[in-house]
Amino acid sequence: MLAYIDKIKEISNRLLKEGKVDMVIGFRKGTVPMMNEPCFVKTPEDVDNFVWDSNCGINLANYLTNRKEKIGIVAKGCDSRNIVTHVIENKIKRDQLVIIGVPCKGMIDRHKIEAMFETEIQDVIEADDKIIVKGQGLEKTLNKKDVLQDNCALCIHRNPVIHDELVGDPVEEQKDLDRYEDVRKIEFMSPEEKWRYFDDLLSTCIRCYACRNACPLCYCPTCFVDESRPQWVGKSQDPIDTRTFHFLRAYHCAGRCTDCGACERACPMGIKVRTFTRKLEKDCLELFDWEAGLTLEERPPLDTYRPDDPDDFIK
Amino acid sequence: MKVIIINKEAWAGGLERLYDSFRLFGPVKQDEFHIFKELSKGELPDMNLLNTRLSAKSMVYPQSEKMFEFTLDENRDDHHMLKEIHKDYSPRAVIGIRPCDAKAFLLVKANFDSPEYKDPYWIKSYESTTLVGYACNNPSSTCFCTTAGCGPFHEQGLDLLLVDAWDHYFAKVITEKGENFLAAAGWSSEADSDTACDEIETMRQAAEAKITTRISTDKLKDKNTTELFEAPFWEDVAFACINCGTCTYLCPTCWCFDIQDETFGLSGIRMRNWDSCMYPLFTLHGSGHNPRDTKRQRIRQRFMHKLKYYVDKYEDGIQCVGCGRCISHCPVNIDIRKVCTLMNGFEP
Amino acid sequence: MGIEPGRLHFSWISSAEANKFVDVVNEITAAVKALGPNENFLKTEARVA
Ligand code: SF4
Ligand code: SF4
Ligand code: SF4
Ligand code: SF4
Ligand code: SF4
Repeated sequence: MLAYIDKIKEISNRLLKEGKVDMVIGFRKGTVPMMNEPCFVKTPEDVDNFVWDSNCGINLANYLTNRKEKIGIVAKGCDSRNIVTHVIENKIKRDQLVIIGVPCKGMIDRHKIEAMFETEIQDVIEADDKIIVKGQGLEKTLNKKDVLQDNCALCIHRNPVIHDELVGDPVEEQKDLDRYEDVRKIEFMSPEEKWRYFDDLLSTCIRCYACRNACPLCYCPTCFVDESRPQWVGKSQDPIDTRTFHFLRAYHCAGRCTDCGACERACPMGIKVRTFTRKLEKDCLELFDWEAGLTLEERPPLDTYRPDDPDDFIK
Repeated sequence: MKVIIINKEAWAGGLERLYDSFRLFGPVKQDEFHIFKELSKGELPDMNLLNTRLSAKSMVYPQSEKMFEFTLDENRDDHHMLKEIHKDYSPRAVIGIRPCDAKAFLLVKANFDSPEYKDPYWIKSYESTTLVGYACNNPSSTCFCTTAGCGPFHEQGLDLLLVDAWDHYFAKVITEKGENFLAAAGWSSEADSDTACDEIETMRQAAEAKITTRISTDKLKDKNTTELFEAPFWEDVAFACINCGTCTYLCPTCWCFDIQDETFGLSGIRMRNWDSCMYPLFTLHGSGHNPRDTKRQRIRQRFMHKLKYYVDKYEDGIQCVGCGRCISHCPVNIDIRKVCTLMNGFEP
Repeated sequence: MGIEPGRLHFSWISSAEANKFVDVVNEITAAVKALGPNENFLKTEARVA
């Protein structure tokens, strides 16, 4: 990690000094355990603010939308895939960007770690693949691989798919994972069971929209839930409105979602919102052999038509 | 000051008796965190908590609340008229509310129950509620209540303060409502007031000593509003913000709402829902113009409101009680303590 | 999501296939009528405080 940090600083420093970019977007150290704050740096003197560790789960592609400057951006595997999606969808131009790729070893899940202990966690230290958690009368060493964010545990694109610089050697990709066990479980449920399952899943949702706003894909100038003419969805805490929001948002992400986990990480109520998007991700993979954000050369499945479309209703 | 000792063995029995005269609300663990919930008969509040994820404000001011009903059926005489909705304002008690959340009700009161404006829903609901506080022996690391006009044993806004003393609770009586609550529960064993108060005082000092983060708010009042408004640091503060509104929804002192009508066939209701200054929609005009179009403006509004406008308008400190929720749950770690330091120390 | 099978239908109909369109619409209306109203997504009044 330390080597990564030095490299991030060094590259940022160079890019800013040479005037290749107007700003570099990365992370600075957070004020509470297991949190870092996305930030920008505009002068070489400030590059020392940058950090890198397993608490950089926010997807930085989210901060690129419609920006006009030339930008250096620190990008792990999933960020790079969302950058690709952003470029394809004209949210940023490729030549505005210098992508500082970070081969990623997974981000840790603070909801999960907090839930493991009764006492408050006051400090978290990382040492290679171990995580040391400290609190009042508490000191415990965890295996990082046991406390990864769910999406990181299932990630098969840890290395940035596009980059102009790289802060370290590529890491080994995870192989032979069964990525959709949980989705299959839901697929096997009856419609009534599914209905109850989702009711339960969303019962604590406060409709703050942190999930939507943390997602780089959700850049619509007016989200359908905010539209008032016509008003598609009610704005109260009514469970049907809440469900409609989640349901439709997921569809808007179909074929675009990279399973970066930013939505789930952002939720203040710990709701597993990826449950929705992962079903669509699985469908895209199975039906169209498609994974989002891997290449700039191909259009995503939902905005193309191919004569060999697998669904039989298209005849 | 009257202090009652509630033996923990007598806890469940007392609550049982309370159901006859109160609707009881208390912290309940749901998934990985606590929220306030109405307790069904026999259900106990979970007193083993730091604080609830959402503040107690929804106990008086629900996230979505009906205000009026109406009919569009022109065959009826009362069509297109807003009619009041009958609501249950029978006595209720919120058990286990932390001192910060209780103090927050007093800040919010400045808005909902002012000499010029009276919000009937908030007032009726507030008046029917007894706040049974729960002192914090173990504040968390994001708590900074002691420098935000409050404290882990603070009594302002409470009717009763429970202090956990191992095998019993001390119940410090603060108001008549608190007194009535104890009577309804049948808890009556009075402690020797001096010794009990001493003991509570020792615990208070121990708890306050555990709060290590402090903010300074002393210079906010003297700052020039326009200069603070134009301060260069807002761009940096705002950068990471995703405008999710989590900070405002979790906050016990945020009070903004939006009014919506919903119709179902020919009948309909008018209701209000929490709203947030962090949303672009909050200030969007019918014309399409939005005076707070960028997140820099929105985040500035949130902090200026809490740490400057409120301070100037009500002369009662900041509009924050230091509960730390917005700090622990902001998905991008925007920290009000840091922003307060920037504002309080700002020199143009 | 828990939407009953038979409630959601897809078809691909060219603008020239008027007869197919009529047939498909008839089939769908019949199928959905047979299922009855969608109680799940029916909001009779917002369930709020
Ligand atoms: S972030 Fe969580 S609570 Fe907020 S709208 Fe999304 S699912 Fe609901
Ligand atoms: S929906 Fe969630 S997992 Fe998918 S791209 Fe958006 S934030 Fe990432
Ligand atoms: S919780 Fe954080 S990111 Fe969300 S609106 Fe508040 S300050 Fe912005
Ligand atoms: S601003 Fe933050 S710390 Fe202050 S009362 Fe609100 S949630 Fe608590
Ligand atoms: S902010 Fe103070 S009163 Fe609130 S939970 Fe923390 S210690 Fe208790």
